[in-house]
Amino acid sequence: MTSNRPTRTHIRAMDRRTFLPLPFLAAGLAVLPRGARAEVDLNRATAFIQQAGNELVAAINDPRLDLPARRDRVGAILRRTIDIEGTGRFILGRYVRQANPAELAEYNRLFDDIIVRNLSARFGEYRGVKFSLGRSQQRTEEDALVNTIIERPNTPAFSLDWRVSEVGGQPRVVDVIAEGTSLRLTTRSEYSAVIQRNGGRVASLLEAMRNQIAQLAAREGRG
Amino acid sequence: MPPVRHGLLRATALAAVLLAAACATRPPADDPEALAEFREANDPFEPANRALFEVHEVADRFVLQPVAEAYRDILPQPVRNGIRNLLGNLRAPVILANDLMQGNISRARITLGRFMVNSTLGLGGILDVSREWGVPGHSEDFGQTLAVWGLGEGFYMFVPLLGPSSPRDLAGQGVDFAINPLTWLGQGAAVDAAGWTRLGLTVVDTREAVLEPIDQVRATSLDPYSTIRSAYRQRRAFEIENREDGGRAVAPAGVTGFGQGVTQPAPPETRR
Repeated sequence: MTSNRPTRTHIRAMDRRTFLPLPFLAAGLAVLPRGARAEVDLNRATAFIQQAGNELVAAINDPRLDLPARRDRVGAILRRTIDIEGTGRFILGRYVRQANPAELAEYNRLFDDIIVRNLSARFGEYRGVKFSLGRSQQRTEEDALVNTIIERPNTPAFSLDWRVSEVGGQPRVVDVIAEGTSLRLTTRSEYSAVIQRNGGRVASLLEAMRNQIAQLAAREGRG
Repeated sequence: MPPVRHGLLRATALAAVLLAAACATRPPADDPEALAEFREANDPFEPANRALFEVHEVADRFVLQPVAEAYRDILPQPVRNGIRNLLGNLRAPVILANDLMQGNISRARITLGRFMVNSTLGLGGILDVSREWGVPGHSEDFGQTLAVWGLGEGFYMFVPLLGPSSPRDLAGQGVDFAINPLTWLGQGAAVDAAGWTRLGLTVVDTREAVLEPIDQVRATSLDPYSTIRSAYRQRRAFEIENREDGGRAVAPAGVTGFGQGVTQPAPPETRR
């Protein structure tokens, strides 16, 4: 056992070996994408979107489901497809640091509720929707952009790009882009406007979000 | 008298007066993040813009939106598509001029070829034959040309009835209007009537195309004004970039756009 214990010289040699490359390591870490995101494989991202899209379309067009059941099904698919927490943090932006832990926790809860309600209300009405992969799938620095074409009866087809990132070892949607307009960027500017116009208080955003959820719930009740 | 000019001038004059009346407060210099955000929004006349936005919202809810909804209810989609194609085709000379001014010869050839095919085989532009052949259209305007020439968009403007804009894009619309041969073609009651009809249809067609997005913004946005501001900026940047991949045509200007017929993705048969 004693022979295994490193001597002083050993330690010094080890120190040198470990610490010499540190600046390089630090530089490497600095250029890596922030957060726990790894590079996402384009084929994997495309397959992921295709599968999620097929599930969504099947749920929306299922003749056995009524509107509330359809919304629930769509909501469940969205929750396992979208990186809701990461997207919420991106949207809150610099105010993440201003919010206290309780506010942040409530924000995460409200944002999850809003995004699922909004998207499932929107998709839930897309009866007869058809979805197919578009021609252009491309890689960006950190994620993949998967292009899809959405066709609905009596409306011209439109294209949607899904930004897919690797989150905790799984592909997850982090943004939806329609005609060059990113949902997370518009929402970020919207949320920051609410905070700024109410004296820079994160609490005012939370209040607006609570009101919106009440309105969405009321509409769902009517629909 | 060209129909659009009066309205445009009046709107610009009104905007200028109101813009001078109210300015946004600049955040203090010791808050660099707030300052960066202020610069990014680039909306120094925000209070005035918000007032104009409210004016527009009232006009929209009482006039534009109901008319666009009636238009959708009354006319079947093939007819609406025909009108959209026709409007897009009538704008082809302006698109061609801007393609050329941007030095984009390949896109200019597409615009010219589409105009020739659609004007003849497409029965004066009602049918988008070229798109069926796998040559989808694109839009251009002088605001985009100015951007390609290196001019920044300038501050944000919201012009009632015209929608979100900027000094560059507003000036661009004026130039597009001036270089459109239809502006100067002929005179008399019939020509005037045709001009007004084209203007009216363009407005109704554009509003119809954004019925769902606007409903969506109103229903889900906590602050529709800033949502539209951000969406407009992103959309313009995307249009200026001329990124055309996989047969997806770059769309014309969003809420203020003309000839939306080119926004659709390529038909399924030609895809893949």
